[in-house]
Amino acid sequence: MNFKPQNVVIGLSLFGLLGGCATVTPPQLVEAREAYNVSSNGLAAKLTPTELYDAKKVLDKANKEFEDKGDTAEVRDYSYIAKRKIELAEVKARTELDRQRIAEAVKQGVVVRDTQMKDLQAGLVKTREQLEAEKNNGALKDKDLANTTAQLEAEKQARMTAEAKLAGAMKDLAAIAAVKEEARGVVITLSGSVLFASGKYALLETAKTKLDQVAEALKAQSDDKRMIVEGHTDSQGSDATNKPLSLNRANAVREYLVTKGVDSSKITAVGLASSRPLVDNNTAENRANNRRVEIVIQPAQVSAR
Amino acid sequence: MFKKTITALAAFAITGCASIQIPADRLERSEASVRAAEEMGASAVPAARLHLQMAKDQTEAAKRMAGNGDERAVLVLARAEADAELALGMAREVTTHNDAERASEDLKAVKARTLP
Repeated sequence: MNFKPQNVVIGLSLFGLLGGCATVTPPQLVEAREAYNVSSNGLAAKLTPTELYDAKKVLDKANKEFEDKGDTAEVRDYSYIAKRKIELAEVKARTELDRQRIAEAVKQGVVVRDTQMKDLQAGLVKTREQLEAEKNNGALKDKDLANTTAQLEAEKQARMTAEAKLAGAMKDLAAIAAVKEEARGVVITLSGSVLFASGKYALLETAKTKLDQVAEALKAQSDDKRMIVEGHTDSQGSDATNKPLSLNRANAVREYLVTKGVDSSKITAVGLASSRPLVDNNTAENRANNRRVEIVIQPAQVSAR
Repeated sequence: MFKKTITALAAFAITGCASIQIPADRLERSEASVRAAEEMGASAVPAARLHLQMAKDQTEAAKRMAGNGDERAVLVLARAEADAELALGMAREVTTHNDAERASEDLKAVKARTLP
C-alpha cells in the first residue's frame, strides 16, 4: 500500500464531517421537542395557544443554538426553559378547562334556580287560586246559609203571625162559644138553640154572625189540621128523627163555613143524634146543653215514614 | 520579560474577578414570580413545591454566577423564572380545580333540592 498525503487529508476531512454529524442531541432538547409535539396536538393548542407559542419561540432558540453550536449549556438552558413553558401551557389549559366548568356550573345553576323559582311561583299562584276558589265557595255557602236563615226567619215570623192571628181568633171565639182542649183535639161547642129553630136545620140569621167568627178561627188553623162538624141532639124523639136532624144541622154548619172560606176538603160533617150527651137528659136545661153542634179541630197528623 | 509576565497576570486577575450585571428587572421579575407562587400556596402542592424550590435554588445560583462574571447567569435566572411561573400555575390549577369540583357539587345539590 502506497502512502499518499492526499488520502490522509481526505480521511481526516471525512472523520471531521462524521464527527460533526454525530453530535448527540442533549436530552433536555429531546424532551422539550417531544413535549411540544404532544402539546401542539393537545389541550394547550386549543385553550392556551399563546402560552404554547411562547414556549415554541424558546424551543426554536434552542434548536437554532444547537444547529449553530452543537450541544452547549445555552442549548440545554433554552431547552429547559422551553419545556417548563410547555408544561405551564398545559397547566394553564387544564386550569382554563376548570374555569369553563365553573362558568358552566354557575350558568346551569342560574337556569335551574330560575326554573325552580318559576315552578315555585306557579305553585304559589295555583295555591292562591285554590284558596280564592275555596274562599268564594265558602262565601257562596255563607250566602246560601244567609238565605236559608232568612227563609227560616221569614217562616218563623209568618208562623208567629199566624199563631198570633189564631190566638186572637180563638180568643174572640171563646166569647161566643165554649172552647176546650180534649184528647181528640180542640172542641168548639155551639148551642143548638143559638143556631137552629126547634126541629129545624136551617141556620138562624143570628147564628151566621157567630159562625163568621168560627170560620175566621178555623181558617187561621195550620193547613195540616182536619176538622169535623158534629151534630148532637137530646134524647127526646127517636133516632130515626134525631139522626138525620143532627146530620143536616152539621152539614148546614159545614156548608156555611165553606162559603166563608174554610177548605172544604178539610172539613167533614157527621150526625151523632143523642149518642154522646154532655149531661143526662133529665132536665130541660140539660137537654138544652145536649142539643149542640161541636166542631172538632183534630191535631195535626204525623205522617208515617 | 518579567514586566510582560506581571502585566499578563494582572490582566488575568482583573478579568477573572470581574462580575456581570444581571438586569434589575429580570431579577425582580424572577423573585416576584417566586413570591406569587408562595402566596398562591405552591408549598402545599408537591409538584409545585419542587419547582418553587428549583426556582429559588437557580435564582441563588444565577446571583453567584453573576458575581463570578459568568454570563450564563442570565439564562439560569430565566430558568428560575420559568420554574417559578410553573409553580404558580400549578398552585392556581389546584385551587381552580377545587373550585370547579365545589361548583359541580353545588349544582348537583341545587338540582336535587325539592322546593316546597
